[in-house]
Amino acid sequence: MSFIPGQPVTAVVLHFQLSCALQQRIEICKLRQGEHLILGFSIGGGIDQDPGQNPFSEDKSDKGIYVTRVTPGGPAEVAGLMMGDKVMQVNGWDMTMVTHDQARKRLTKKNEDIVRLLVTRKSLEQAVRHSMM
Amino acid sequence: MPMNRYADMEDKLRILEDLNMMYIRQIALSLQDSNIQKKIDHEIRMRDGACKLLAACSQRDQALEASKSLLTCNIRIMAYMSELQRMKEAQVMQRVALRSSDAGPTDDRLPCKGKVAISDLRIPLMWKDTEYFKNKGELHRCAVFCLLQVGAEIHDTDMVIVDRTLTDICFDNTIVFSEASPGFELRVEMYSCCSEEDYSTGSTSRKLASKLSSSLGRSAGKKLRVAMDPGACSPISNGGGATLLLPLPTVVGPKYHLLAHTTLSLSHVQDSFRTHDLSISGNEECSHWVPLYGNVCCRLAAQPHCMTQQMMSGCLKVKFGGDPQSWTNVYGVLKGTNLFCYHRQEDVEANIEPAFTISINKKTRIRASEKDRHNKAQSICISNHYGGEEVTHTLSADSREDTHRWMEAFWQQFYDMSQWKQCCDDLMKIELPSPRKPTLVTSKQGSLYHEMVIDTSDDISTVTDILARRMEELELRSQLGTSPPWMSLFEESPGCPRTHNRLPHSPLRCPRPGLLSSEASLTSDSDSPCSTSPCSRYSGWAEPLSLSSPSSHFRPRTLSLDAKLSTLRGRGYGGVLQCSCQPPSSSSLAPIPAQCVPQATLSCSSSTSSNSSSEGSHSPELSDGTPFSRPSSARQSLRNLRAKLDPRNWLQSQV
Repeated sequence: MSFIPGQPVTAVVLHFQLSCALQQRIEICKLRQGEHLILGFSIGGGIDQDPGQNPFSEDKSDKGIYVTRVTPGGPAEVAGLMMGDKVMQVNGWDMTMVTHDQARKRLTKKNEDIVRLLVTRKSLEQAVRHSMM
Repeated sequence: MPMNRYADMEDKLRILEDLNMMYIRQIALSLQDSNIQKKIDHEIRMRDGACKLLAACSQRDQALEASKSLLTCNIRIMAYMSELQRMKEAQVMQRVALRSSDAGPTDDRLPCKGKVAISDLRIPLMWKDTEYFKNKGELHRCAVFCLLQVGAEIHDTDMVIVDRTLTDICFDNTIVFSEASPGFELRVEMYSCCSEEDYSTGSTSRKLASKLSSSLGRSAGKKLRVAMDPGACSPISNGGGATLLLPLPTVVGPKYHLLAHTTLSLSHVQDSFRTHDLSISGNEECSHWVPLYGNVCCRLAAQPHCMTQQMMSGCLKVKFGGDPQSWTNVYGVLKGTNLFCYHRQEDVEANIEPAFTISINKKTRIRASEKDRHNKAQSICISNHYGGEEVTHTLSADSREDTHRWMEAFWQQFYDMSQWKQCCDDLMKIELPSPRKPTLVTSKQGSLYHEMVIDTSDDISTVTDILARRMEELELRSQLGTSPPWMSLFEESPGCPRTHNRLPHSPLRCPRPGLLSSEASLTSDSDSPCSTSPCSRYSGWAEPLSLSSPSSHFRPRTLSLDAKLSTLRGRGYGGVLQCSCQPPSSSSLAPIPAQCVPQATLSCSSSTSSNSSSEGSHSPELSDGTPFSRPSSARQSLRNLRAKLDPRNWLQSQV
């Protein structure tokens, strides 16, 4: 949305709002199912993946780990994780420069019952906008 | 005209081959060794079979397997022939030595043989970043396998398809060489062959080849032309110079080339994983190039026979220390680094604990003592240091000959230990592979994935029918001694479909990007009523795992589904479909609630088919709730093409 002189200023304000991102700390308690501990979401991305195909990233060269799906009712949804979040850290481990499999492994360590994620979330406005397009 | 010359050459080569075989048979006959002759004959039969299969098969991976068998047979034949010649030479030398007046050196002590096992081969790869994303849609794949050779014994590993998504090449086979001497040289050779999917090998004429090359694009066409080039079709592609010894008709088909090799010996033996350097032949320009990091990791273990077998046993009288009266009658067994003394001979079979054990190791000192007032025979003194204290046992056998034999056994044991060095410190474990070890292998092999053609009826029984038919097809392949790893799945009993044990990993198992993740994903199908949703669940890359219970839950991708998916994907973006998991999109999702686990892009569309609340229907309707942008039509067509050529665009994992 470019700024056109004469148009109401609110458009610009909206644009400004859209560019900020929220950082969230999310604590997920793993759920035990049988002999596995699950978190209830899916991830995509990684330094060994093609970033151009990430639907959630703003910058199409961003090779970070993104949440692609959250199981409804699962531990991740309960904890407040949302689809499209970019996972920055997991229990202190960096997730911005990892391969896909390394990311998966850091989330699925068997001796950890709780994972604390630091995620970045585009603001609500843009999420809605994205979904409407 | 050139074809005539070819035919002539082939005739001549055949005659030469026949002459060679006659020569070989003569040698074998004179050596009175029918063993190697039988092996050579067996390999020749296998080779013929492989040639026929290669000529007959149409599928790329069948061709790759057959070509691998062919190469292995050739190398084995050459090894046996060299062995025969060596034996003949040795025999001749011996005769010469006997005839000549000066006696050769007396028979030196020979060390005992042992078992050498190599397992968990892992070869790391080093893909450049650009490699990942160039040639999108054209996944450059290579077929790779290893040959391991000790003397005349050659074993091959399974074939692994390598592409950009693999970080290490892992060979799960454990290979055991049963009779290796301590000076063994284990040669590890890695062969690779490019496995492009875009074209099929066949005896196409040059004109057609050039036509194809112009239509396929430069790089693919160049590779095709190289493969078609008869000059490149050398009968022996392992670089051996003995072309005349083993001529072959030119075989059209995938050709393996030697990519890397290394030689391991006793100094590399250790009871844990070690990394060794590889010598790489070839460079980036070759079609069969795979970017190797330059190392190979493996576990090389050895079990000398002196550690595992009873080298000597018999009745003995043992005296402790200097006490003259305390002779004990025991039954002694010399095995490994110990002399086990049992009360009676029967105890050995009964697995009863020995009365006591005298250790015989590198630090033990043994000497024969001449005089003994009570016994006319010689006795043997064994001294050990147990924690700073010197302990002496004196042994005495019934007769002089027995004593002599025991001394001989001890000397032999010492000699073996000095030859086998670190292998005699402790017994290394060697796991013998079961004949058809059911390894759970990912679908990277690709064959089942691409070959499944199922009609749109989506009936699960169709799937099992097709799989059963495939099994029959593969009987032929299993006769050649190879069978694709996923075959083993049918030997597994279908247990609970949802609990999948993790693969029995070795600690250094390579991380397979994104694929094994689906194991974890499978188990998260927790509360879904699996039995009621036959068509929704599909865990993309783990489909061979899932096929172990082909009854209801998992459905491999179908070719017709492919076409629909690609249009679907055009509507979505870059291959990731999420919509099925948007609960509000359609109420008909209720019977299959969000427990469905769309693993890869494809599963999503099967879930969307369940969206339309008719289980059989396949309609890929992404109507409502699609949260994602629809790119322009130009990008759509590009994406369709990309999707068709490489379905695995952007991996997702369930955690």
